[in-house]
This record gives sequence, structure tokens and C-alpha cells, in this order.
Amino acid sequence: MNRKRALIANTFCLTKKRRCGGADKGETADIRSSLQYLMTLFSRKLFNDTLPPVVFKHQLYSLHNDKTLVDKLLNEFRESGELLMFQLGFDSEAFGLVFTEDYRAKVLQGEAGRDTRATVEKFLDKLIPTCSDLSFNKDKMLKEFLFTDSEITQLVKSGVLTVRDAGSWWLSIPNSGKFIKYFIKGRNAVLGMVKKSKYSEILKDELEGRRTPSQVKFQMKYHIHDIIGAELVECIQTTSGTLLRYVDGNINHPNTHLS
Amino acid sequence: MLSFLYARQSGLDDPVRLRRAESTRRVLSLELNYDRDVDRIHGNGINTLDIEVVEGRYMLSGGSDGVIVVYDLENSSRKPHYTCKAVCTVGRSSRYVHKFSVETVQWYPHDTGMFISSSFDKTVKVWDTETLKPAEEFQFDGNVYCHHMSTIARKHSLVAVGTKDPKVQLCDLKSGSRIHILQGHRGEILSVRWSPRYEHILATASTDSRVRVWDVRRASGSLFTLDQHNGDKSKASSEAANTAHNGRANGLCFTDDGLYLLTTGTDDRMRLWNSATGENTLVNYGKVVNESRKGLKFAVSRGCSPEFVFVPCGSSVAVYGLHSGEQITMLRGHYNNVDCCEFHSDNQELYSGGKDCNILAWVPVLRQPDIEDEGVNSAKGGTQAAVNPAFEDAWSSDED
Repeated sequence: MNRKRALIANTFCLTKKRRCGGADKGETADIRSSLQYLMTLFSRKLFNDTLPPVVFKHQLYSLHNDKTLVDKLLNEFRESGELLMFQLGFDSEAFGLVFTEDYRAKVLQGEAGRDTRATVEKFLDKLIPTCSDLSFNKDKMLKEFLFTDSEITQLVKSGVLTVRDAGSWWLSIPNSGKFIKYFIKGRNAVLGMVKKSKYSEILKDELEGRRTPSQVKFQMKYHIHDIIGAELVECIQTTSGTLLRYVDGNINHPNTHLS
Repeated sequence: MLSFLYARQSGLDDPVRLRRAESTRRVLSLELNYDRDVDRIHGNGINTLDIEVVEGRYMLSGGSDGVIVVYDLENSSRKPHYTCKAVCTVGRSSRYVHKFSVETVQWYPHDTGMFISSSFDKTVKVWDTETLKPAEEFQFDGNVYCHHMSTIARKHSLVAVGTKDPKVQLCDLKSGSRIHILQGHRGEILSVRWSPRYEHILATASTDSRVRVWDVRRASGSLFTLDQHNGDKSKASSEAANTAHNGRANGLCFTDDGLYLLTTGTDDRMRLWNSATGENTLVNYGKVVNESRKGLKFAVSRGCSPEFVFVPCGSSVAVYGLHSGEQITMLRGHYNNVDCCEFHSDNQELYSGGKDCNILAWVPVLRQPDIEDEGVNSAKGGTQAAVNPAFEDAWSSDED
């Protein structure tokens, strides 16, 4: 008997799964519910509720097999205006995702009582229904959105825009500096835990159960989804569960400074 | 399988469909086969492999020691265990051998009388296979990383050469001239490929992170540059605008129909592009580990229904579905880094060579006949394996 499971092409699978009309909706609902699940893993209290829950695009890759489908559906959500994507700056491939209502609520909450509030509100109103860009350059701001230079300065001051280079800005989350700092530290700490284990591998359940070291401020599961999705560790299925093995190629990765 | 055969027989299906389905099944069952070996001639790593287009019988390999070997892949012994023998070698003792490592070899596309090799000793040599002497030699100023000759060209016999110089040089085999250059890149050219669909279209990949597509008949620059964000300038930082990869672009491969182009880069990504418009199809292959400082040589399958990409990843070869982006399997077997792989489309076999000086042949596993237990043995009337031959009943006749 051939104990190895052979790969079978789709054409040979005679039992075709019956696809009802809602098959596509099934996939979308899946991605949406994964997004919401990941949002619950975000620790709000850490930032005194000033930040909306942020999730990374690659964390979804750890929950779903088909990356291309995930990308496609995320783009659909962005086009429809319910999701916003941000380039967070520490890695060209790491994109942060925030639900639009959360973002809007938190930004306005942060702006309450400040003199930049009116400009920020105007920006959000113009931006959210129509535009799904990650960055804006001066032309666009002045002509399409009809902002003046001083208004742009106010937006940068309030944290909604971050400087990208002369004359262009990234869309950003206000007060996210602390988030990024804790995130990078936590990611490096979790990767260090995996690397220091015997043979540089550890069962996922065991890692989740371990006491979080002081540098890790987020929930362990949040970081685990991150390192699996970004392929910083290799996921191997064993009889005792999923095993995470540290991948040596990370030495070239720009953000792992492991002791 | 039987349904496919019946459908073909009764005319319900196109004959191509059965062929594609069976090719796909064979590619999915690729495995390291103990019965197939390739002669081990190289003393140092193997950088490049090429199987000839005409018959699919002879394979060229070029190594880091400058040695070039021609192997015969056909199994003419009637035994299942077969070693692909080296037919001839341009070894270190030859007067004309390359001084440094051979980076690319390619058979002359129309017959096996000639092959071209390029090497870090800054030369491209055109060899006569019969005498193993170079018929022509082109000298360059910098290391030659790669060269390619179009397999479908009827109107020209140009060899595109990528060197340390940012200019892509085109050498003409008919006249021996090399005055035609393509300007536009700003870094070393790591990979060049002609399109298998149009004989004048050339794609080049360079260390300046850009991949350009040229029409060699045009006097002005490239046709277009591949942009990973598809013109959406907001996605990247401004230096990375209009680049194909966030690091060096070091591998190129067209699909067999020439409609799509695959590129790999040192940002650990592989991208699939529509070769007519230059649009990124955004298929996400995940992290394709790529630490190669030179060009990466990878292969795409031909004749299968979902096509497969075979990419050397560290010390194994990763197999991805071309349009779905999912990783099908990893072919493990090499002891050290894999540098090149080549797909033999007639037999659906994959040959890969690496730094461990081995060329491994990945052959589809045939369906093993099911081993039935008692039924077959008693029907044959032969000895049962459990009985010791000393106790065997060898004198009484079967009539009893």
C-alpha cells in the first residue's frame, strides 16, 4: 500500500462539490469573519482606547490558504469603502487594515476639542467614500480635494497624514507610533522565543501557553498569526498539532534584530 | 482516467484534454527516482542546464569549474535502472575551455550541431558540437551573467547577452557583429529572455529592480517597464515607483504560449505579468526564498492543465500552481543549494542541478500494480514467499 498521499489534480476529482449560488458569498463572509476575529485579538486597553483595532494583511494569510483570493477580496472591501489600508512604514510589504467606521470614530474622538478638528473632518468626508489610495501627493491634495497648504499642515500635525517625501504623504493612523514600536518589539521577542527553543522549533499550542515576556504587549495569538502569515516561521503539521520552525532566511529581513 | 479515455474514443472530448489531464497527473507525482541517475562529471557546482528543443534527447550542463558536459537522456538499455551518460565534455584539459565559471548554456534552437555558452571569463563562445571547438567567440568588458537565443526566430539569429554593463548587447551569429545595444537599464543585467511567441520581443531583468520589455526592431528604448503596483503610485515609496521588485530582479521565464511572464526578485517574491500589457496579475505566491546574487534559472511546465512553476528555493525545488499561486509541493533531494532546473515537456520530467555537483532527475511515479495477497500466488501455482525453500514440495506432481 502506498502510504504517501499523492497529489491529485482537480480534473481527476470526480466528486465535484456542489456549489450553490452563495459559494462566493461564503468566501467573502469567511474573510470578513476572520478579519473581525483578528480585530478582537488587538489589545485596545493598551493604548487607552485612542487607536482603532489594526490588523495586518499578512495575518489573514495564516488563516486562509489562497493568498490571491484574500488579496482580491480585500481590494473589493477597500473599493466599497468599508476597509482602509495603510502603509505603516516599517516594512514595504506590511499593510495595516482598519475598518472605516472604527477609524473615523477614533480619529474624531482624538480630535475632540482641538482646533484642527474641522479640517480633519473635512478630510475624512472627502476621503472615505471615494478614495482608496495609500498616499497622496501635493497635486491631488490641492486640486482634487481642494485643500490649502495650511490645511495640509494641520492634517500632518493631527497625525492623519505622514510625510513620505517632498510633496507627498502617506495616509496614517494618529498616535500609531507607540503601536508600531510595541509591535516590532513584540514580534522580535516572539521570534526569539521560537529561535531559542531546542532545534529552533516549538509547537504552536505550547507557544500560546507560555508566559508572555515583558516586551510582548499584545496577545500571543496576534503575534503568532503575524509571524505565520509573514512566513517568518515555517508551519509544519505534525501529529501533535502545528509546529512552528524558525526560518533561517530571516537574516536578510530588515526588521529582525535578534540577540 | 477511464472516463477520459472513453470520452476521447467516442469523440465527446478533444484529444488534447486527455493529454493535458495525464500530463498534469504525472507532474503532480514527480518524485526522486532511484532508477534514474545522471552521470556525475562536474567537480564543482552546476550553474545551468539546457535540454534541446528538437528531440529532447540531449542535455547540456555548465558548471562553476568552467566545464561543459553533454548528456544523453534516452534510455536505450532495456533495464529500468539507467544512468544518463555523458556523451562528450569540454573539460579542464581542453584548450578552449572557459577560464571561470560557466553561467549559461543553450543549444542552438534548430539542431544540436552547435551550442552557446557564456561565462564569468567575460566571453560568449559558440561551440561546434562535433569538434568541441569554439567557432566564434565574443569578448565583453564585464562578467557575462546570461545569454539567450530566440527559439522561434526565423528572421534573425541574435543572441541577447546580459553583462555587468547596463547595456544589453545583441550579437548576430550570421555576421559576427555586436554593435546592436539596448539602452535603458541602470544596473547589471541578470537575466534575458526572448518571447516564445514573437521573435522580436525580448525581456531583461536587472539589479536596478526593473524588468524591461523591448522590441529589437525599435530604435528608441524599451516598450514598457513592468510596474509591480500597476501604475498605482500611491502604494510604494517614491524610489520604488515603477519597479518590478523591491530588490534585484534576477529571474525571468515566459510561459510556453508567451502570454505570461514570470519574474523573481531578491525581495523574496515571484510575480506573474501579462506579457502584452505589462500588467501585474497580482497572483500571490507568498515568500519565494531568493538569495541568489546572480540570475536564478527556473522553469514552467508545458502541456499541463493548471501549469506549474518549478523554482529553486534553497536546497529544494518549490512547485507552485501558475495562476492560483498556491505551493503544491517542495521537491527535496539536493544536499546543497539548487541553482537551476529544467523541465522536459515530453516525459514530464524535471532535472535540477546545484552546488552539490549532482543533477537530479525527478520522474513521475507510475501507478504501482496493486499487490494482491493469496489470490495471485495460488493462481500461478508458484512458491509462496512464506515457505522456506527447504520445506518446499518439489517432488510431488500437481496432478495429485
